[in-house]
Amino acid sequence: MLLRGSGEHTGENYDLTAIVDDGGSGGGVAAAGALTAYADAFFDDGQDFAAARERLHAEIGDEALVDAAGVLAIFNAVVRIADATGIPLEDQKAGMSADFRDALGINDYPAAAGKV
Amino acid sequence: MPASSAPVETLDYRHSPLPVREGLAASQRRAWARLAEPGEWWPAAVRIAIAEETRAATACAFCAERKAALSPYSVSGRHTAATDLPDVLVDTVHRIRTDPERLTRRFCDAALAGGLSDAEYAETVAVVATVVAVDTFCDAMGLPRHALPEPVAGEPRRRRPAGAKPGLAWIATVAPEDVTEGEAGLYDGLAAVNIHRALSLVPAEVVGFFDLDAEHYLPDALLRDFGTEYRALTHAQIEFLAARVSAINQCVY
Repeated sequence: MLLRGSGEHTGENYDLTAIVDDGGSGGGVAAAGALTAYADAFFDDGQDFAAARERLHAEIGDEALVDAAGVLAIFNAVVRIADATGIPLEDQKAGMSADFRDALGINDYPAAAGKV
Repeated sequence: MPASSAPVETLDYRHSPLPVREGLAASQRRAWARLAEPGEWWPAAVRIAIAEETRAATACAFCAERKAALSPYSVSGRHTAATDLPDVLVDTVHRIRTDPERLTRRFCDAALAGGLSDAEYAETVAVVATVVAVDTFCDAMGLPRHALPEPVAGEPRRRRPAGAKPGLAWIATVAPEDVTEGEAGLYDGLAAVNIHRALSLVPAEVVGFFDLDAEHYLPDALLRDFGTEYRALTHAQIEFLAARVSAINQCVY
């Protein structure tokens, strides 16, 4: 939802399906292809993570790569707090995101049962 | 209720080829210091043992077998444990570390039936999440992980928030309107949305974890300030990456 909000502020119409797009199309977000490859390779032992990190580094630079590592790190942790406590999504957020949650298949995740 | 600021001298990024923001590094030092101290319910030695199990879980053969199974309850076996923690605690830590998207109320209830209190469960989740955050940062940077800190002697404080109530999550939580003097400052700087409330049964862990969150992600107050960029990544890039990581983890929140 914050990605959508960011786009509304800047006048960009980000394609939210890029979040789950296997091709890493990016949906209009700068360097999204490299960000996608970075995240995907981190969680897939079969991919060359060092190469994905180098690609991202080359595209966004030193400081932004550190920021990307920070975001990846904290969200890899936050998901565990959400999943281990069964904390539900707020009704308001569920309503506001209902359209793209369904389109992106988020409601089909195992953890979705009883949470939205 | 400020985050702990006890110094941890062993955590720094002097040898990193890329400059790490001091605010980010400092938040990790505070997290490591907090990890080493007696918690609300666990002694420091148990907190460090939970941290060790968090790391050991990714090499646990039973966890790998269960992760690959259609249902986590369709296989049985024993974890490859790194510590002498009770089985119920080892299982709790390993499942949260290796298979979080398939956790259910049944899992939480089994941990409580196995001997953990709801507050001990919450503190365990917090320790796992803290270690995952700091370790993932190092891994994502291509840097060696930090040594775990030495546990500090002392007793857990064992204070349960008077306003904690069941209903919102699998464990009791503290609504903003139920915060009492004992946990004053619990939601300072936070919107007190559900994810902030998830671990509120142990208020210090909420404060500590979201201190880490504010430096790795963004402080709550800046999340919707789309007119200003506070990081080298734009708001859109941050949110895109965050959403991708959540999607990979199949997290619905």
